[in-house]
Amino acid sequence: MRPAREIATTATAPVAVIGLGNVLLGDDAFGPTVIALLRAGWDFPGDVDLIDGGTPGLHLVASVHGRDALVLIDAVAGSGAPGELRLYRREDLARLPILSRVSPHDPAVLEALAIADLAGRGPRTVLVVGAVPASLAMDTNLSAPLRAACPAAAALVVDELARLGLAPRARRDGAPPDAWWLRHATESP
Amino acid sequence: MGTRLTIDPVTRIEGHLRVDVVVDGGRVTKSWASCTMWRGIETILRGRDPREAWVFAQRFCGVCTTVHAMASVRAVEDALQMPIPPNAQYIRNLILIAHGLHDHIVHFYQLSALDWIDVTTIPKADPAKAAAIGESLSDWPGNSRLEMKKVQDKVKALLSSGQLGIFQNGYWGHPAMRLEPEVNLLLLAHYLQALDFQRQANKVVAVLGAKTPHIQNLAVGGVMNAINLDNVATFNMDRLWMVKGLLDGIVAFVQQAYFSDACALAGLYPDWFRYGAGVQNYLAVPDLPTDGAGTAYDLPGGTIFDGKLDTIHPIRSPRDDWWRAGVAEDVTHAWYQGAGAQQPWAGETIPAYTDFQDDGKYSWVKAPRFQGRPMQVGPLANVLVGYAQNHPLTKQWTDMALGRVSTAAGRRVTVDDLQSTMGRYLARAIRSAILIDLANRHWEFLADNIGRGDAKTYVPPSFPKGAVEGVGFHEAPRGSLSHWVVVENGILRNYQAVVPTTWNASPRDEHGTPGPYEASLLGNPVADTDRPLEVLRTVHSFDPCMACACHVLDAEGQTVATVKVL
Repeated sequence: MRPAREIATTATAPVAVIGLGNVLLGDDAFGPTVIALLRAGWDFPGDVDLIDGGTPGLHLVASVHGRDALVLIDAVAGSGAPGELRLYRREDLARLPILSRVSPHDPAVLEALAIADLAGRGPRTVLVVGAVPASLAMDTNLSAPLRAACPAAAALVVDELARLGLAPRARRDGAPPDAWWLRHATESP
Repeated sequence: MGTRLTIDPVTRIEGHLRVDVVVDGGRVTKSWASCTMWRGIETILRGRDPREAWVFAQRFCGVCTTVHAMASVRAVEDALQMPIPPNAQYIRNLILIAHGLHDHIVHFYQLSALDWIDVTTIPKADPAKAAAIGESLSDWPGNSRLEMKKVQDKVKALLSSGQLGIFQNGYWGHPAMRLEPEVNLLLLAHYLQALDFQRQANKVVAVLGAKTPHIQNLAVGGVMNAINLDNVATFNMDRLWMVKGLLDGIVAFVQQAYFSDACALAGLYPDWFRYGAGVQNYLAVPDLPTDGAGTAYDLPGGTIFDGKLDTIHPIRSPRDDWWRAGVAEDVTHAWYQGAGAQQPWAGETIPAYTDFQDDGKYSWVKAPRFQGRPMQVGPLANVLVGYAQNHPLTKQWTDMALGRVSTAAGRRVTVDDLQSTMGRYLARAIRSAILIDLANRHWEFLADNIGRGDAKTYVPPSFPKGAVEGVGFHEAPRGSLSHWVVVENGILRNYQAVVPTTWNASPRDEHGTPGPYEASLLGNPVADTDRPLEVLRTVHSFDPCMACACHVLDAEGQTVATVKVL
């Protein structure tokens, strides 16, 4: 666990690192897994919020609004081999169309940024660390290529924070990451 | 004959709502609601420890995180017949209220407002007039001429940049958009201000639940918040007052902006009280327990049939037989094995996919039925069930809303008019006003109880030999949610979640009776089949929760939504 900042403050840290995805749906757990890895391996300065964001849909706005910089970690739909990492910046995302929405659950990264921008409270710096998934079927395990990609993704996040002047400190105690969804059922049904 | 429209956010990932309607003579004459993703996520829980089920259940859905966590611990506690400490009940209630308010505010402004306000008219608005309209509606301090001018300038800059940002999908200039530019400006200003208040509501969840969006403080048997007024590392007076301060800010926004805007919108679009009634059987479960054992509740539950408030039958607790014996799920038109209806404790979730068959199986959603009937759930059911039982807070806020809407509409709008598309929007605002009042009440319960020296928040559960059944329910933002568990020798043998959107998005049942979405769309106007804005208004009025869900950022810009005209 991260000791630096009390969770019970009402201030918003200027930088958020958010892992997105559903941990019950195979490689969609990429984002939350990288967050667990980061939490276990480094101590973060108080100006950085580390968030296992799940699949917040439009609720993502609340985590994005009012930040100076944002790092998102997510599975990305794209051509390429499973586990391949893709980096996107603000200007890459700005070129993508925002699509019409039926439910608040549809992925809303672009919308959350656009809404925060309209309010004048959008982050100036955005980095998306994406990985091409192998399978999004219901499963509490990551596929081998995605599992292999996690450490590199975590290192990219650490580099980005260092670039922002907020380098985390590597921990010596080496606690294992708390990816609880990997625990298996106590007996088969 | 007629034109068939399919509204289907087609994505590389499954998990969405598909709505098919046949439009003839400018009206919907047939409709189907389908979920395109298998929803058998509960099978992940079989064989697990019931004490950790909530941690997984919280991931069923990324928006409704907290609500599944809560229904899960309640289900196991019900199976064990165990009361929890009152402090735990109040802390849970405050989390549920804050989560619900966050969700309702996002629904009204960020999800739905752009169905009703045409932002492209905003450059023509007179900011002084917009401010005057705002001041005539409420005392909200965010209605100044300066504020209106500031928002108008932002919109002008965005529109003239050619990059429409958040506005790139709107049905601008649609004939069903009818508000004057100043009202559009006022509502958009509140759309932007709403962002601060959703964040505040979210902070309440974070302070009490240790993290958000996935809370960490729950346990079967209570909550894990250690209360010690003399210790800064635990839940103490500072945090209690921090929660109070956040709630006070939200009170003002909900009462003076959201509630007021919903009444104004309803008054300016009164024709939308004529559409979208659909299924007029309603189900709400009681919530916000005021004691540890869950025998008394601050929000009443019950059923109403055929749109008649005098058919009200209360549901008093999860142990109420009317409730426990009433619920079954039908799979006749859903892609699962089996036929007819099954009680959830005996429910199976074995897929049997066909393709989309208009008269056969066409959805991954099962069809829940109450005593064999489809039921509408959600804030409207919640409000009607409270109103029919003369629940004082429900009466107070509903009558106030109806009075304001009647004045704005220039005709009398009654509680029966709420059974409509617009009624669902208005009911959500009424429910929010009730919730914020109750937030203060439960905050006081908690502060008083701690003040009396009771610091207990948890009692450990003990599991009997053999099998026990339990049901945990929660009146969630989208309506009645229930988790049904069978625990055998301390291990989960069965787990079924009957979620609000399953009730509302239910397909037809063995008698061919359609579910609430489907029924509500019949007769809905569609002025322009290329831009079915009116269908979206009715679908959005339910606040669908379909994805429950998988999240993939589509960074190559593929189209993920189409409206196909067949």
